[in-house]
Amino acid sequence: MSGAAPGYVAILSAVLVKDLRAELRSKETLATMGLFGLVMTFILAFGFTADPATNRRVIPGALWIALLFAGTLGVGRTFAREAKDDAFSALILSPAPRSAVLLAKMIVNFCLSLSVMVLVTPLLAIMLRVDLLPSLGPIMLMLALGAGGFAVVGTPLAVMAVNARFAEVLLPMVVFPMVSPVLIGGVKGTSVILGTTFGDDGVGGWIQLMLAFDVAFGVGGLFLFERMVTE
Amino acid sequence: MKLFPVMAVVGAAAVAAAHYLTFIVAPMERTMGAAQRIFYFHVPSAWLCYLGFILGFVGSIVYLYNRKAKADAFALAAVEVGLCFGLIVLLTGPLWARAAWGVWWKWEPRLTSMALLFLIFAAYWVLRSFGGRGEGVRRFAAVLAVFGAPNILFVHVAVKKWRGDHPDMVVSNGLTSDMRLALYPSLLALLIVFFLLLHLRYRAHRDALTVQAIRRRLARLRGI
Repeated sequence: MSGAAPGYVAILSAVLVKDLRAELRSKETLATMGLFGLVMTFILAFGFTADPATNRRVIPGALWIALLFAGTLGVGRTFAREAKDDAFSALILSPAPRSAVLLAKMIVNFCLSLSVMVLVTPLLAIMLRVDLLPSLGPIMLMLALGAGGFAVVGTPLAVMAVNARFAEVLLPMVVFPMVSPVLIGGVKGTSVILGTTFGDDGVGGWIQLMLAFDVAFGVGGLFLFERMVTE
Repeated sequence: MKLFPVMAVVGAAAVAAAHYLTFIVAPMERTMGAAQRIFYFHVPSAWLCYLGFILGFVGSIVYLYNRKAKADAFALAAVEVGLCFGLIVLLTGPLWARAAWGVWWKWEPRLTSMALLFLIFAAYWVLRSFGGRGEGVRRFAAVLAVFGAPNILFVHVAVKKWRGDHPDMVVSNGLTSDMRLALYPSLLALLIVFFLLLHLRYRAHRDALTVQAIRRRLARLRGI
C-alpha cells in the first residue's frame, strides 16, 4: 500500500508465510503425507525385516524410499491449492518476481517432506530395531539435503504438470529418474554413516555431491522459472 | 524434397556396407568371439542417442525462449530418434554384457547413466504422447529436457562413486585397425539414418501443426 514496491525477500516471505499458515490451519497436506509416511513405514518394515545386521544394512534404503514417496505426494499438492479459484494466475500476474514465488514453494515442500521424515525416521528405527540415535545428526543432515534436492527439482516440474493430463501419474515418473543422484548419494551416504558401507572418502563426498545437486538445480530452476510460466 | 530420396538410398547402401564390414571384414575378437561384433552397432548407437538428446535439449531451450512451435517440433523429433537409438543400446548392451561379463546387467557407470538418461527422455516422450497437446504440456516437456540433459553429469558422478571399484571400460584403445575400419563406417551409416529419421519426424510434427491450424480455421468458417 506504500509507494515503493516490496522487495524480493518481502515477497518471498509473504508467499512462504501464507502457504505455511494455510497448511498449519488446514493441515491437509501434512496429515495426508504423515499418514502416508506411517503406512509406508509398515510396508517397508514388512518387506525388509530380517536379522539385526541385515536391518542395519537395509534401513538407509527404506528411509530414502519413504522420503521419495512422501515427497512426491507433497510436491503434487503444492499448486493444487493455488489452482483453486485460479489463484495461481493471480500470483503470476502480480508484479512479484516469479522466482520468489517458486523459491517460497520450494521451501514449503522442503519443510513438508522433512517434517514427514522427522516422523518416519524414528518409527522405522523402532520397527527395524536399528539404533539411529548415535548418528541421528548426520542422518538428518543427509535427509535434509535429500529433501532439498527433491524440492528444487520436484517443485518446478509440479508447477508445469498442472497443464498435463494424468499429472498425478506423470509427475513421479518424471521426478524419480531426475532425483536419482540424490537417492544414490543419500542411501550410500547414510550407510557410510551407519558403518555398513566403507567409502574411500567417507560421507563427505556424498554430502558434496548432494549439495552441488541442490545448488545447481535450485539456481537453474529459479533462473529458468521466468521462462517457464507465462500466461 | 529432392535430397531426401537420394539420401535414403545412400543411407540404405551405407547400412548394408556397414553390415558387410561388421560381419565379414572385422576380425574375430579373441576372448569374446562373435559377441564383440555387437560393438559396431552398440557404440555408434550410444553416440547417436546422446546426439538426439543433446539436440532435444537445445531445441527445448530455444523453445522456452522463443515459443516457436517449430523449435518444439524439432526437440520432440530429436528426442524420439534419440530414444530409438537408446533402445538399440539398451538391447544390445545386455547381450554383449552376457558374453563379456557373464551377467546381463552390471551397475557400471556408463551403463547406468545411459539407462537413467533413457528413462528421463522416455518420460518426456510419454508426456508428449499422452499428456495432451496443449501449449502447457510442451512447456512442461521442454523444462524436463532442459533439466534432464545436464542431470546426467550428476548421475554419472553418483554412480561412479557408488561403484568406484569397477574399471572404466576401454573402448577406443585396444581396437585393431580392422576394427576401426568397421566402427567408423558403421557410425557414418547410422548417422545418415539418424538424420533421415530426424527429418521425417520433424516434418510429421510440423504437418500435424498445419493440420491442426487448418482444422481450427475450418471450424471457424463453418460458424460452429
